[in-house]
Amino acid sequence: MSMMTGERAAADTRAARREARLAIEEFNAEYCAVLDDGDLMDWPDFFTAEAFYNITSRENFDHGRPVGLVYCEGRAMLRDRALAIAKTSMFGPRYLRHYMANTRVTGIEPGGTICATVNYILIETLAELPEGRLHQAGRMIDRFEPQPGGGLLLSSRIAVYDTLLVPNALVLPV
Amino acid sequence: MSWHPSIPAAEVREKGAVAVEADGLRLALFALEGEIFATANICTHAFALLTEGHVEGGCVECPLHQGLFDIRTGKAQGAPVTKDLATYAVKVEDGTVWIDTEPRAGAEAEAPAFAGAGQGPDPRRVVILGGGQAGAEAARALRAEGFAGPVTLVGAEAHAPYERPPLSKDLLLGRTTLAEAEVFEPGEAERLGTVLRLGLRATAIDRAARQVALEDGTALGYDILILATGAEARRLALPGAETVTLHSLRDAGDAQRLGPALRAASRVAVIGGGFIGLEIASAARALGRDVAVIEAQDRLLKRLLPEGPAELLAWVAGENGVALHLGAAVAGVSPEGVALADGRLVAADCIVIGAGAVPGDALGRAAGLETATAGGILVNARGATSDPAIYAIGDVAVARDEISGAETRMESWQNARASALRAACAIAGTPLPAPETPWFWSDLFGGTLQIAGLPAPDLPTVRRDGDAPAFYCLDAASRVTACIEFGDPELLRLGRRLIASGQPVDPARLADPDTDLSLIEEDDMKMLPIEKRFTWPASGLDRVPDWVYTSREIYDREIERIFHGPTWNYVGLAAEVPEPGDYIRTNVGPTPVVMVRDHDGGINVVENRCSHRAAEFCRELRGNAEEFVCPYHQWSYDLKGNLSGVPFRRGVNGEGGMGPDFDPANHGVRKLKVTQRNGAVFASFSEEVESFEDYMGAEMLADFDTVFPGRKLRVLGHYRHTLMGNWKLYPENLKDPYHATLLHTFLVTFGLLVAGNKSAMIVDPRGRHSTMASAKSDGATVSAENKAEMRAYRDGMVLEDPRLMEFVEEFDSPWSVTMQVVWPGLIVQREMNTLGVRQIVPNGPNEFTMVWTMFGYEDDDEEMTRHRLRQGNLMGPAGFLGLEDNEAIKFVQDGMLNSTGGEHLVALDPKVPAGTSNTLISEAAIRAMYRHWRQEMGL
Ligand SMILES: Cc1cc2nc3c(=O)[nH]c(=O)nc-3n(C[C@H](O)[C@H](O)[C@H](O)COP(=O)(O)OP(=O)(O)OC[C@H]3O[C@@H](n4cnc5c(N)ncnc54)[C@H](O)[C@@H]3O)c2cc1C
Ligand code: FES
Ligand SMILES: [Fe+2]
Repeated sequence: MSMMTGERAAADTRAARREARLAIEEFNAEYCAVLDDGDLMDWPDFFTAEAFYNITSRENFDHGRPVGLVYCEGRAMLRDRALAIAKTSMFGPRYLRHYMANTRVTGIEPGGTICATVNYILIETLAELPEGRLHQAGRMIDRFEPQPGGGLLLSSRIAVYDTLLVPNALVLPV
Repeated sequence: MSWHPSIPAAEVREKGAVAVEADGLRLALFALEGEIFATANICTHAFALLTEGHVEGGCVECPLHQGLFDIRTGKAQGAPVTKDLATYAVKVEDGTVWIDTEPRAGAEAEAPAFAGAGQGPDPRRVVILGGGQAGAEAARALRAEGFAGPVTLVGAEAHAPYERPPLSKDLLLGRTTLAEAEVFEPGEAERLGTVLRLGLRATAIDRAARQVALEDGTALGYDILILATGAEARRLALPGAETVTLHSLRDAGDAQRLGPALRAASRVAVIGGGFIGLEIASAARALGRDVAVIEAQDRLLKRLLPEGPAELLAWVAGENGVALHLGAAVAGVSPEGVALADGRLVAADCIVIGAGAVPGDALGRAAGLETATAGGILVNARGATSDPAIYAIGDVAVARDEISGAETRMESWQNARASALRAACAIAGTPLPAPETPWFWSDLFGGTLQIAGLPAPDLPTVRRDGDAPAFYCLDAASRVTACIEFGDPELLRLGRRLIASGQPVDPARLADPDTDLSLIEEDDMKMLPIEKRFTWPASGLDRVPDWVYTSREIYDREIERIFHGPTWNYVGLAAEVPEPGDYIRTNVGPTPVVMVRDHDGGINVVENRCSHRAAEFCRELRGNAEEFVCPYHQWSYDLKGNLSGVPFRRGVNGEGGMGPDFDPANHGVRKLKVTQRNGAVFASFSEEVESFEDYMGAEMLADFDTVFPGRKLRVLGHYRHTLMGNWKLYPENLKDPYHATLLHTFLVTFGLLVAGNKSAMIVDPRGRHSTMASAKSDGATVSAENKAEMRAYRDGMVLEDPRLMEFVEEFDSPWSVTMQVVWPGLIVQREMNTLGVRQIVPNGPNEFTMVWTMFGYEDDDEEMTRHRLRQGNLMGPAGFLGLEDNEAIKFVQDGMLNSTGGEHLVALDPKVPAGTSNTLISEAAIRAMYRHWRQEMGL
């Protein structure tokens, strides 16, 4: 019995949360793989057409200030960002590696939306900084939509970083 | 080879320098680190024996004019000597020095030939107008600096270029000839490939056509023109002038007339007691004539020299039999002589006017070049006039200091040469030599007077008596700025060192003949003052040296003079502290402060440093408090920063506690001066700072008020990031419109900014604040030609969600984008509808933190707020444009830190020396910023 059949109200049970967590972990592993080693142009496909995406500091989030380092409304805007970064932006060569852990499903809404949080860290390695450094540490506040054909898409991802001081620039999404 | 024995080697080693004669040659033997060298003993500049000079660092300095030669190679080390010294092989046999009197092939033979210039001919045609000393030296220096293009020199005088000093000296006495004074060696002009067109006057300059009209009716095209038209003797309109021959002395023709006239005369009257007048008087005395010098001022050289040396000169002239008439106005001239205004007659059968020279600036003036109020063509440090294609050198040029604005015109042999070299370097693209200490000499009554530095009549002057007296001018800080010497060149040599060291000296010790001047230096001059250690590149504002961005000492001075000086520093928005007790932690420069609203509704800015033990007491980024309590010993402060409580102030049981003189009123935290403008809060460490409105000026204030119109602000949030660069690179980036279309491909791709867009780079009159502005246009309007110029342009990319770039007209402004720098540390951003301020917090020379506060207006509707937030994707640490600037700034600092030291080139748009330009392909705003910075920094 799958929680992904839309007709009936989804049950927010312990088992359902566990199942959801597994799905989210799989989702995030793929998500990170695209950002770390894949094609940035594939990144918007992790989101629904109307998705909201925001990267903001804990300082802003805690005080209800809406600004974001990245602030996107809808997949089209995410695609524009991917395109702009991939095709027009100038920045020094680097590797970025994303780690997501401590996945928590905080609720499953009657419509099936899974609310979850996950901690993340972003390690940045620059040509002139081959030892790498912590670029961000924070948590994602997510809403996942189960898809008719199986799988999940993000309808909202808010990345809230504790590391208030961004080292120079954040070139790729988290 | 022709070996000749001379003296014992031991004698040379003992004395260091010995004059010998061998094979009819006057030779000098020098011992350097035990090894013996032989050179010619006569200076190549003037007649003087080098063995009487000073040996230091392997060089001998001529005692007469301080020409310097390398003893080992004979190489001339710079002005005033230009010709190398012959050197001779030596060997020591049985303790005796043997000399081969056939000179070694010296550096002379390697004189750079035109063909040797290397990279093939330069397409630029250089035309030099004026065939005097400066013009000829320029022709020579251009080749020495590697310029390989065609050079034509046009001179009105028929004679080959010559130096003028002998005209009033040995030439008048028949002791030398004009040929001896020629600048070029025989055949040199041909070797240099300089086309000489002598006896031909230029009549006009057509700057648009880049052509010079010549008196023979032809025209000469140029790419670069050098004005070296010198000066002319000042004429005086004297009653009776038509009844006599009035002589003056500027050129060879004058000298050829004056020489015989002096010989034929019995009484000579010289009108004007300047150097040339005195030299003529001196020559006339040497010929045994009666001589009177008539000077309108009450003393000699009143505009040039302080009283001491001028009086010494007057005394020397008197001792040599010259009758001086000081403070004497001339009423007229006649065959009897010169009638003075007081009725006296100075009998004379030869009258010479020595009333100084006026710059020959007519051609440049008629062509519309900028001129100085006192005459002469204005030039910058490189010798360029207000037209970057035209340089001016020598007597006609007036150098305007880019920082102080002071205008200086020098008439001297050294300046003719040095200014020619500077212009040649600028034209050839080689580094400009560091400026030399000005130097001038005059041969008077058998002695030589020399001046080093720039004396002024009103400077305090110290007299010191050596073999002969010397005078040292001091500035307000008691530093030696000039030295005037008349007979003891050693004192001048030491004077130059004092000038170079820039250390204050004790006037009494300086005056005392028993103080060893070289010891004054050793005692007191361990550390050169900052302005001597950090000297700006000689080229001027078109270069910025790396130390501006990388030196800790410079950084510390910036904190003191700029951030803690009379500037307004943005600290926050009033909207961040709406209620009494609301506070934020912020900074003024690097210094942590707290901005807090008190119960009267006022906003206070206080240093975040406990007055007890310096603890940074406020730890939260923001909050609300009734008072501030330092966590360490619980001292408490009210919202205005007053000390309100000291635990156990009176001790316990009458023991301990503060003494009876402790007054809490004296121990509040440091309060800064605060001002607000429509919701933006600024603080200053300086009590003297002008009002914010005056600080900004009307034009800048208008741009500021567009973003801060007085509407209530709604804070949308902050970004904080560190940039790995010097803090000034950020304001510079926003004064660098050149980068916008080149670095920010995004802007160009999506038509936000394209070359040819309506745009402006506006700088306030003082050069510190600025606004970079542009108006949005359609990508479609970029011409093919402009696209080709911008590597960055990519066609065929469109945004899937164009809302990002939508511009909702909300401001009464012709600009859709304004980026304003409010010096020193604030940037006001209006990127279409995304608004924000960026505060620079420097963390040392190589890093700064940037704090962004993004905002909208309280009456924005929900959709407008979202629009601002969406458009925020352009800016900030992850913004399409923002991240590129951050990276570029890091790259610049990396370049400075990792590669060899040097300087930046900010030379775009030379027509605008510094300030507002109407092209974006300009670095004039960066130059304006550094003009201001250097004024503030005193560097
Ligand atoms: C008599 C005398 C004694 C001096 N003694 C000393 C001294 O002892 N120590 C010292 O340091 N300095 C001395 N000076 C100063 C020094 O000689 C000058 O500073 C120096 O000559 C300046 O060189 P210049 O090339 O700029 O000008 P000039 O030497 O004056 O040359 C300018 C040339 O340009 C030509 N010219 C002008 N207009 C035109 C035109 N339209 N077309 C073509 N050609 C033109 C003129 O005919 C002239 O030949 C003395 C100067 C004089 C006159
Ligand atoms: S092109 Fe300007 S810094 Fe290199
Ligand atoms: Fe930029």
